[in-house]
Amino acid sequence: MLELRDLAHLYAGSQRAALDGVSLTARRGEVLGLLGPNGAGKTTLISHLAGLLPIQRGQILVDGAALDTARRQRPTRIAIAPQEYAFYPSLSVRENLECFAGVCGLRGSKRDERIANCLAFAQLERFSDKRASQLSGGLKRRLNLAIALLPEPELVLFDEPTVGVDPQSRAFIIDAVKSLARNGTAVIYTTHYMEEIEAIADQVVIMDHGKVLRAGTLSELISQGAPRLRLLIGKDSATRLASQLEAMGECHAEGECLVISLAAGTTPELAINRVAASGATIREIDYGHYNLEHLFMALTQRSLRDD
Amino acid sequence: MRATILLALVRKELLALGRDMHALVSLFLMPVLFIIIMSLALKDVYSPKIGNLPYAIDQQDQGELGSAFTQRWTKVRGTPQASPATRDAAIEQLRQGKLRYLIVIERGFSEDLASPQTPKAVRARVIADPALEYSIFRGTEAELAAMVGELRAEALQERFTGISREGGQSIRLLVAAERLAFGGRPTAVQQNVPAWLVFGMFFVLSAIASLLVQEHDNGTLSRLISLGVSPLTQLAAKGLPYLGVNALQAALMLAVGVWAMPLFGSDGLSLAGINWLALIVMITAISLAAIGMALALASLMKTHAQASTIGPVVNVLLAAIGGVMVPRFIMPPFMQDIAALSPMNWALEGLLAVILRHASVAEIGGDILRLALFGVVMLALATFLFSRRTRA
Repeated sequence: MLELRDLAHLYAGSQRAALDGVSLTARRGEVLGLLGPNGAGKTTLISHLAGLLPIQRGQILVDGAALDTARRQRPTRIAIAPQEYAFYPSLSVRENLECFAGVCGLRGSKRDERIANCLAFAQLERFSDKRASQLSGGLKRRLNLAIALLPEPELVLFDEPTVGVDPQSRAFIIDAVKSLARNGTAVIYTTHYMEEIEAIADQVVIMDHGKVLRAGTLSELISQGAPRLRLLIGKDSATRLASQLEAMGECHAEGECLVISLAAGTTPELAINRVAASGATIREIDYGHYNLEHLFMALTQRSLRDD
Repeated sequence: MRATILLALVRKELLALGRDMHALVSLFLMPVLFIIIMSLALKDVYSPKIGNLPYAIDQQDQGELGSAFTQRWTKVRGTPQASPATRDAAIEQLRQGKLRYLIVIERGFSEDLASPQTPKAVRARVIADPALEYSIFRGTEAELAAMVGELRAEALQERFTGISREGGQSIRLLVAAERLAFGGRPTAVQQNVPAWLVFGMFFVLSAIASLLVQEHDNGTLSRLISLGVSPLTQLAAKGLPYLGVNALQAALMLAVGVWAMPLFGSDGLSLAGINWLALIVMITAISLAAIGMALALASLMKTHAQASTIGPVVNVLLAAIGGVMVPRFIMPPFMQDIAALSPMNWALEGLLAVILRHASVAEIGGDILRLALFGVVMLALATFLFSRRTRA
């Protein structure tokens, strides 16, 4: 449905490209999970899809047609559910929906039907006359979702839709996104929560510094990760051995644990024997549990992202 | 399709404005209060009442002409207060404002007035409260000089021709002063209603900027762009409702001037005989200028702090130099030249011409054209700035 080919973008005055040859595909009926730390280029990507930024290099295609052409023909084919509460706080839930329904060009009975459907989908019927400013965080997220779905978009981009909501609302939103995809909508879902991506994404893209680092199904990505051995040996031993066992692979201390990403040709038995031979007492061994978070941290490094 | 979008956005603007108490107060209540307060406070500045000021006459002259003066002055200015025992006591009462002025008729007044010789000394003087308005002070001095001159003329006439005095009517028979009902300087209500109406109309800046900054902050602006709403449609949706708001303001302020001000004991605003077409065209031109400027400035504002401070500051500055707060006609010439640069002044001069001089559309064509041109330039600037802002 949506295809990005070699998309690149450099902001005026910046030395580093915000997007640097990004290619990805979002298909109808699938959720594409987009992961990346701050500064990865997610916001720039979303701004392109929203029509807020011109394309400098590369292509964005919607069913084979250029994004600009597709947006001109029907701008509501792609909907963005932004991270912010993008509606009018002084208007009621219904008034907000009526406003955005009008903006989407909906009129008469079609408009009433879509508003009723979206209220029901987001379970907001009871709150339809309540001012948006008086809604809880979870209800505001649901209103954001309902507005995005008004024009029956073919692709919805959710930008961190569960930030600051209670676990019940979070579960509700994840279920709603799943059901959208089941009904044939293409979904792009960006978040910092790995477990959400693990729960709903059919395809996962990990980005950093404007580049796609990994793309594939969840199982494909996890199988690509280096075998990881985690040994509970005490803080002193972990710190000491982290610099002595580099030949075994990338080593670092994590509290009282020594974590080794085993290099090719190294087996866990060999690493365990080396640690035991060094005099450290091994109290716990963890091997083979490699998840998305491990891969994400390994790919994007552990340094803090403040930009 | 485009009409549906525009209608939905206009409705949103009106709903949001209707629930924005600060905006409603600044657009409707504040100008009404300014009209009432300033009209009442400045009533006597525009139309000074001098007949009922407390004054005293220090009569030192024992002659017939001294008594005649007191009789005539009392007839014109009302009964005087009891004269203080000493000159110092009288001056103290003037300083305290208990007396607004003191007329002193010196000893030898009658003798000097009836003598053809050049007077040897001042025989009548007015001493005023330091806070007495300058115009009233000069008016009193002029009236004193006229009355003394008249008495002297009558006394000399009687002495040399034997024809007796006529009771002080001769000057009044010779001189008449007439102020046209429309034209010249306005009354307090005639000045303040248009002035604060213009001020209120330009205050749409705060309301427009406030919602625009909110839309920018919470991503609604991006959402609207992503849904294909063009910057021009968004600007139109923001501007159109305020044409109605400005019209409502005009109707309210004029109604306050016509019907409410008399209830407060002030003169009412008279719209009898005015050219209604000129008034409507003038209000529309002011509205265009105010909304254009509001949209252009609002497109530059990025934060709520800017929206809540820059708007009022710009309005107050334009009002201060534009003759809203201090009427242009009492400004010195160089300030009048500066005032002519403010769109609020074009608006005020045009409205005053319609209300005071019953001007036609052609007669205020210059002001209308300037305002309309200013509005169009501002709208073009707003379109450019807003389009730039909606790019990420």
